[in-house]
Amino acid sequence: MDARTRKILATAALAFAWSGAIAFGLCILLNYESTPGGVGRVPQTWPAKSRIAHALDRPTLVMLAHPLCSCTRASVDELARALARAQREVSVYVLFWTPNESPAWQETELRRRAAAIPGVTVVSDRGGTEARLFGAETSGQTLLFNARGRLIFSGGITSSRGHAGDNAGESALVSLINGQYAKVSRTFVFGCSLSGRQEKADQTLCPQ
Amino acid sequence: MTAQKELERASAGRADELFRRHQHEIYCKTDVLFARLMLFQWVVGIVAALVVSPLTWSGQSSQIHIHVWAMIFLGGLITLFPVWLTRVWPGAVGTRYVIAVAQMLMSSLLISVSGGRIETHFHIFGSLVILSFYRDWRVLIPATIVVGLDHFLRGIYWPYSVYGVLSASPWRSIEHSAWVIFEDVFLVISCLRSITEMCSIANRTAALEASEQNFRQIFEEAPIGMAVVGLDERFRQANAAFCQMVDYSQEELITRTPLDITDPEDVAPHRQWAQEMLSSNGSNRVEKRYRRKGGEVVWSTRSGCIIRDGVGEPRHFLIMVEDISERKRAEAALREAKEEADRANCAKSEFLSRMSHELRTPLNAILGFGQLLEGESPTESQSDAISHILGAGRHLLELINEVLDISGIEAGRLQLSVEPVSVAEAIRQAVDLMRPLAVERAIEICLPLRIDDRLHVLADRQRLRQVLLNLLTNGMKYTRVGGMVRVSVDERNWEKIRLIVSDTGVGIPTEKFSRLFTPFDRLGAEYSNVQGTGLGLALCRRLMEAMKGCIAVESTPGRGSSFSIELPRAPLPIESLTVHEPAIMGRLSESVGPEKRTILCIEDNPSSLTLIRRILAKRPAIELLTTVQGSIGLELARQQRPDLILLDLHLPDLPGWEILAQLQACHETRSIPVIVISADATARQIDRLLSAGARAYLTKPIDVAEFSKVMGETLNSVKEGVAA
Repeated sequence: MDARTRKILATAALAFAWSGAIAFGLCILLNYESTPGGVGRVPQTWPAKSRIAHALDRPTLVMLAHPLCSCTRASVDELARALARAQREVSVYVLFWTPNESPAWQETELRRRAAAIPGVTVVSDRGGTEARLFGAETSGQTLLFNARGRLIFSGGITSSRGHAGDNAGESALVSLINGQYAKVSRTFVFGCSLSGRQEKADQTLCPQ
Repeated sequence: MTAQKELERASAGRADELFRRHQHEIYCKTDVLFARLMLFQWVVGIVAALVVSPLTWSGQSSQIHIHVWAMIFLGGLITLFPVWLTRVWPGAVGTRYVIAVAQMLMSSLLISVSGGRIETHFHIFGSLVILSFYRDWRVLIPATIVVGLDHFLRGIYWPYSVYGVLSASPWRSIEHSAWVIFEDVFLVISCLRSITEMCSIANRTAALEASEQNFRQIFEEAPIGMAVVGLDERFRQANAAFCQMVDYSQEELITRTPLDITDPEDVAPHRQWAQEMLSSNGSNRVEKRYRRKGGEVVWSTRSGCIIRDGVGEPRHFLIMVEDISERKRAEAALREAKEEADRANCAKSEFLSRMSHELRTPLNAILGFGQLLEGESPTESQSDAISHILGAGRHLLELINEVLDISGIEAGRLQLSVEPVSVAEAIRQAVDLMRPLAVERAIEICLPLRIDDRLHVLADRQRLRQVLLNLLTNGMKYTRVGGMVRVSVDERNWEKIRLIVSDTGVGIPTEKFSRLFTPFDRLGAEYSNVQGTGLGLALCRRLMEAMKGCIAVESTPGRGSSFSIELPRAPLPIESLTVHEPAIMGRLSESVGPEKRTILCIEDNPSSLTLIRRILAKRPAIELLTTVQGSIGLELARQQRPDLILLDLHLPDLPGWEILAQLQACHETRSIPVIVISADATARQIDRLLSAGARAYLTKPIDVAEFSKVMGETLNSVKEGVAA
């Protein structure tokens, strides 16, 4: 076997190994991005103990978010897009989980992005009290209650972790706000875990 | 035709090679482009991941986001293998296919890391465009397959990640891939057009290369020196012949100017030449000298022209130089040889003139007095002796004349007056002259019954007669008593006429034909009682050649010989040609008349002087004045105003031509006719003296009858002039 042939064979073997390694890496990545976060006990009606009140004349939308989760940036963007497409009034609250009053948690880029959406009220959820009331364990979980306080949608509004674009959650949300029929009322939530309680479960979902 | 096909085949092969090389260069350059692009993408991807999603959170705790690790490791994996291939297999088909796959995978990774931003999807379309830089449409296939597979597999295994739904229709994958294929179509068209243009460029380049190679080869292998000189007067290029001529290598020449290797004496002409070249559009040719590296001078002819660009601006000089050193040396040698030959020729002419003079002077006395004695009623015994004296003298004179003729022909001094000459008249005149000899030897001369008077040949009248006389004389000399000499004419050839003189003599053996025309070779006749000089036939041959004719011989020993001369046929003259004898031969009057005449004879040879005195003694009306000194002769001419001056050329104090010149210069003597009597019989001398004003030129030995006739005519012309 001459040197050229050996070189060709070595290159072919490397190419084969390269293809396999890339396929493996992409599988891991896709698997991570497509693995939804945990969902707690979601109330079917507006929780009475919540310190925010739902609107009686319009649907009320609540999104629970981690202020530093980069994946939630896609959820906020999708929220902005959904609200832009909404043809009816809706009360919107984005509740940011915060462990304390530190500016590092209060003044984040994600919070400013959410506050910049017209009609959105940004609220700090110190210690995750509201999140627990709304049964949210993953950042980006969105709940829509009708004017009577009944839950009509719960889930994420991105197609995968941190992935913007058309998705079933966002489409359903827009339809329901507009008083139309929605194909789904429950979707997966993709994002960071909201509190330490779910840390263990979250790690199992997102192997690094 | 075969060579042309061979050239076209070679050109096509070269075009193919150029196309392949160009294509490989493009592949290699695009490989490098992608290697850099992929490394850049990788770094940008890592930076973007670190900026956009550095951490993933779980409550208050965080860790490095998987996007960062993906960009570092997966991005590195995608990037480094194709980059390595561009180093190991540059331009290889596998390399660009792997690059295509890797680029699409990088697009996918970047889309993932950027959160599926629509803007990032343009990376796929941009990458396809950049892949088309390869101008290999096949490379788009693996890229498109990767995009298709990505959507297909995601649609199956992770539909929510790409379509946002849990179960996607396969048509969505097809729709996504169709947009990529849509772009591919135009990129393939673009690639195919590029390849066509590359083929066209390769064909043109090959043709140009072939042409350039052809001209370069002509330039390099030209047997004459060729060089290209810039407008800054520096050599740009020089071929092998030029380098060899001036003994400098091409590298050495490029650092020099033509002036550096020009002989100092030719520098100014060179500058002028260059200026003329710049100011004119044409080319010029000059001789100049170069200095070789060793200092030797090289003579050359240099021609050159200005090469101009498309708008007519001068670009450089093209000079062509031919080494003419050998020719110059040969010219110098030839010049020296010619001068030497001229000197030798002058010496020979001088010798012949002196010999002619020295031999003719005593002959003058021998023949002159012999003729006088012959006319004084000698006894039979004396008459026999006188005839022997005259015969021997005439033989000697003939010998001298023929030697002078041959030497004149060889020296190129023979002056011919070629004109249409009547064949019948030439034959008649020659035969008439020979008839007394024929009667004496009882030889019959047979002529054709009728010679067409319209037959003419191109010849010198006198020389043709001389040749015929020679042949007739030979025929009679070698024919036994009672034999026959026949003259005939062959006019069958339209271009030439042949005159044949045949005899019934002893004949000539064939083996001796080659010696027949050799001067002084008498083929053994010198041992017989037949007199001759051995120059006659040699002279005939040279005269015939000079008249653009030829002479031939046929002979049968014991039966006779036949000599034929051939001359160009001349058209029949429109007017009947008359033979114009020299004016001096015009009238045959020998009488001088009864009136008193004075003749001055300037002659230093006592025998010649006595001879003239004896001839004139029979004419009592003539008073003869004589002198041996030229200066005294001039004085006598001025004082006595004679009616005629007889002038010798070789005098002790003054040359005869100078005396003639002084006589012509003086108004008192200018009208006195001068007859030159000299032993110098060369045509040049005769022409010179006649041109200088001599009335006639008689050569020694004097023919008494001719002398009397010329003298009488001259004196009569003087009398008529006076009367008029």
